[in-house]
Amino acid sequence: METMAVAGRLAGRGAVLIALLVLASGTRASAQASADFYKGRNLELYVGYSVGGGYDLYARVLARHIAKHIPGNPTVIPKNMEGAGSLRLANWLARAAPRDGTVFATFGRGVPFYPLLGLPGAQFKATDFGWIGSASNEVSMCVSWGTSKITKIEEAETTQMVVGGTGPSDDTVQFPRVLNGVLGTKFKVISSYPGGNDIVLAMERGEVEGRCGWSWSTITATRPDWVSGKKIHLLIQLALHKHPDLPDVPLVTDLAKTPEQKNIIKLMFARQVVGRPYAAPPGIPSERLALLRRAFMDTMADPEFLADAKKLELEISPVSGPEVEQLLREVYATPADVAQKLSALLK
Amino acid sequence: MPADVIGEAWHALGLLLEPTRLLVLVLGVIIGLGIGILPGLSGVVGLALLIPFTYHLDPPTAFALLLGMAAVITSSDFITAVLFGVPGHVGAAATVIDGHAMARKGEAGRAFGAGFAASLAGGLVGAVVLGVSVPVLRPLLLGIGSPELLAFTIFGLSMVATLSGRAPLKGLAAAALGLMLAMVGSRAQGGTLRWTFETLYLWDGVPLVPVVLGLFALPELAELAVTRQRIAGEHVANITLSSQWQGVGDVAKHWWLVLRCSLLGTALGAIPGVGSAVIDWIAYGYAQRSERNAETFGSGDVRGVIAPESSNNAKEGGHLVPTIAFGVPAGASMAVLLGAFLMHGLQPGPDMLTKHLDLTYTIVWSLTLAHVIGASICLLGSRWLAQISRIRAEILLPIVLAFVFVAAFQGSHDWGDLYTLLLFGVVGWFMKDFGWPRPPLVLGLVIGSLFERYLFISTELYGLGWVLRPVVLVILAIVAWCLYRPLSKLAFDVIAQLRTVGVRRFRLTPPAAFSLTIIALILVAIISALDWPTPTKLVPLTACVIALVTTTLNLVYEVLGPEPVAPERSQRAAPRVIAYFAWLVLLLALIALIGFIPAIGVFIFSYMRWGFRESWVGSLGYAAATSLVCWLVFDLALHAAWPRSWLGDLLPNLSAGSGLI
Repeated sequence: METMAVAGRLAGRGAVLIALLVLASGTRASAQASADFYKGRNLELYVGYSVGGGYDLYARVLARHIAKHIPGNPTVIPKNMEGAGSLRLANWLARAAPRDGTVFATFGRGVPFYPLLGLPGAQFKATDFGWIGSASNEVSMCVSWGTSKITKIEEAETTQMVVGGTGPSDDTVQFPRVLNGVLGTKFKVISSYPGGNDIVLAMERGEVEGRCGWSWSTITATRPDWVSGKKIHLLIQLALHKHPDLPDVPLVTDLAKTPEQKNIIKLMFARQVVGRPYAAPPGIPSERLALLRRAFMDTMADPEFLADAKKLELEISPVSGPEVEQLLREVYATPADVAQKLSALLK
Repeated sequence: MPADVIGEAWHALGLLLEPTRLLVLVLGVIIGLGIGILPGLSGVVGLALLIPFTYHLDPPTAFALLLGMAAVITSSDFITAVLFGVPGHVGAAATVIDGHAMARKGEAGRAFGAGFAASLAGGLVGAVVLGVSVPVLRPLLLGIGSPELLAFTIFGLSMVATLSGRAPLKGLAAAALGLMLAMVGSRAQGGTLRWTFETLYLWDGVPLVPVVLGLFALPELAELAVTRQRIAGEHVANITLSSQWQGVGDVAKHWWLVLRCSLLGTALGAIPGVGSAVIDWIAYGYAQRSERNAETFGSGDVRGVIAPESSNNAKEGGHLVPTIAFGVPAGASMAVLLGAFLMHGLQPGPDMLTKHLDLTYTIVWSLTLAHVIGASICLLGSRWLAQISRIRAEILLPIVLAFVFVAAFQGSHDWGDLYTLLLFGVVGWFMKDFGWPRPPLVLGLVIGSLFERYLFISTELYGLGWVLRPVVLVILAIVAWCLYRPLSKLAFDVIAQLRTVGVRRFRLTPPAAFSLTIIALILVAIISALDWPTPTKLVPLTACVIALVTTTLNLVYEVLGPEPVAPERSQRAAPRVIAYFAWLVLLLALIALIGFIPAIGVFIFSYMRWGFRESWVGSLGYAAATSLVCWLVFDLALHAAWPRSWLGDLLPNLSAGSGLI
């Protein structure tokens, strides 16, 4: 009996060992299979906006370079599926896209937060997506024109300042509203401008005093002389972390006075980290997601990619897929009342 | 103009005349002409296609290619408008009216000659205005604020009065309905979703391309399905070289009209958001208002081709003004072009007017030369192209319909585009049949949202004081001058119409039923809008009230006024129209069932074989050839995201493998 039991235990261990070996070879086999998987296939990169916008530009540069970092070198094809400020694409990705790793997508940075803020139309759980990464960790600014009375953010707390905005769900409208609600600033938002550059033109001709929600990388790329020549005042940085160029401009999170204010601000500006987000549908095979994540980060360090991005003046400050996923999990763990308060400010 | 600017301009011309660049420019022009001819392809698509090929070109060569392509799209887009009544691009919709009427009279050659010559003249004027104004661009644009833009949109809307023709009540109602359509979407202040009916599709508003194709192309093709004649009718098409020269001569004779419409097109082109979809109509309305003997407009008057074509080609020069001077794209194609500028290290703004002045002038010269080359190619080739109008309707109709559906789908790559196309096709058919002018609807749809936008910004910033700014006063004075005669005539006509109303036995005629349906829709719209916040509902409700009042007055006139003379139409007309729309519904069903490209093949084949009793071989051949072209252009080159189909869901491997079903 004794020997039988020992033999049995040994056999059991053997079985475990064998099972482990099989498993190990299995993973190797599936890694191999993933490499083979992309060979000769198309990998489609969907863009939630029409041709020509910022998200489209980023995606097309990425599409040109990412293939060489994916084993099997698939043909990467950018496709535009525009609609509802890219909400349509996010819904499609969650509900209808093939889940075999042949499709990934980029959509608006605010879109992952729609369900949390109770905004209408979202049919996905943001944490379910296979997050591949973000190509830039944005730092946006509030600026005032040189002739404005407002030269520091504190002055905007006592004096009204007119800022231009685009659509109701855009940064240029939502950022100043949240600042008004949380920090007590007195921005008056004139929305409806057709685009960001139209606001800048309106500022230049004196129609509005400033713009709240203007990417620092865009400012340095398009109006470097305005910064060096002090034609604009940099009031505040809107991000979770300061930009290395700007140690002396106050950061929005540092101005929060209470923990609740801090939470609201973090919830609002978390989108900056996912400035140019890329995601695969929920539930794609984990080894293929890992391949895409690695390929994404490798591309972000690829000198040829960076040269192309520099030509187009696209800022590249990559955030990895796991980091994006972690951030979204944290944000989605925010107490419900904080989300409700932010949601009320945005309406 | 300062001497150094002229020097830079000459230097730029030298750069461009270098043989390889010239060759690249010609290549761009040929691609652009092709894109203009195919309905559904726009400059945006062309630029997106070509930009990757410019990575390794130097900036002047790259711009020669890109602008060569973009410049001539509006030169060739009216070819299909003249031949089939299907605008090749939204900008040619106005040309359909008189251009297609000319083709039906057998004057396709003359229409072509006039169109190409007007395009050339307009393009040159646009380029010259851009070239001359380069040194003063920035100060000029800094003087134009939101109130001035608002005044321009009011000017555009005022054209409704002339575009309504002899049906003032219906014209006003159509414009107000267009304005209501423009309000659909999520762009309202405060983020209220206006009239989106729980669909994401309508969040971005009603898309223009399917609406324009539905309103203008489908009814025109329905006409073809009813008459089943060659487009050139029984006229032996008169497409000799001399007939084309006659068209060119027409342009020379009407040089003053050409110049005015070109300047108008350039000015409107410089306003962000005012695209070619309305510039052609505004020019058409303006020509009708300002020309003598304008009653022949609409029945094949050559001036109805000259006015929209010259203004639309001048537009590109205007479009480039805010793009170059401030990096503010005046339209979607300019937004893409901005990306190309950046890629080649050009930052729009002051640098373009100082440091990179030579490149700016390369752009101006590229536009100029592209127009000359494009017009020459078209003039030489149009004799051959006009032969298409002699093809039998039975062959032409199914093929053109397939292209119209693919084109509409390029609107936003959504099933909604196809529903919109079909819906507006039916609406367009009724409007055409019951004498409702369609252009005011397009005008309202395009300008409506701009009007609301600048009205909101202007009143928020200046209260009512915006009216008193000098430039605004000047523009509004022009509007008043333009409106005075049409408005007094309109009031007179309305009163005259209503005075003929007498007591007559009430009879619900089909036109009256159409008006009643519209009234019901307006009432539903009003009720659903009542809960919106005040600033959000101000413009939509105003539009609703105008639409309601005018449609109701029109209904009174239709029910109680003198009985209209029924248009002559054969007994077979009604069943043929119903059959035509049934075939279109079948095409939709096929797309849902087996995927877009296969559906096109099956549709063309069955329509030819069983709809028109064509031969098996012919039907198969045309079906295969058209599907192949659609596949090459829209799938292989443009990677269109096709809708899912039942067959594709059933056979996922086939779907993934082919990407087509």
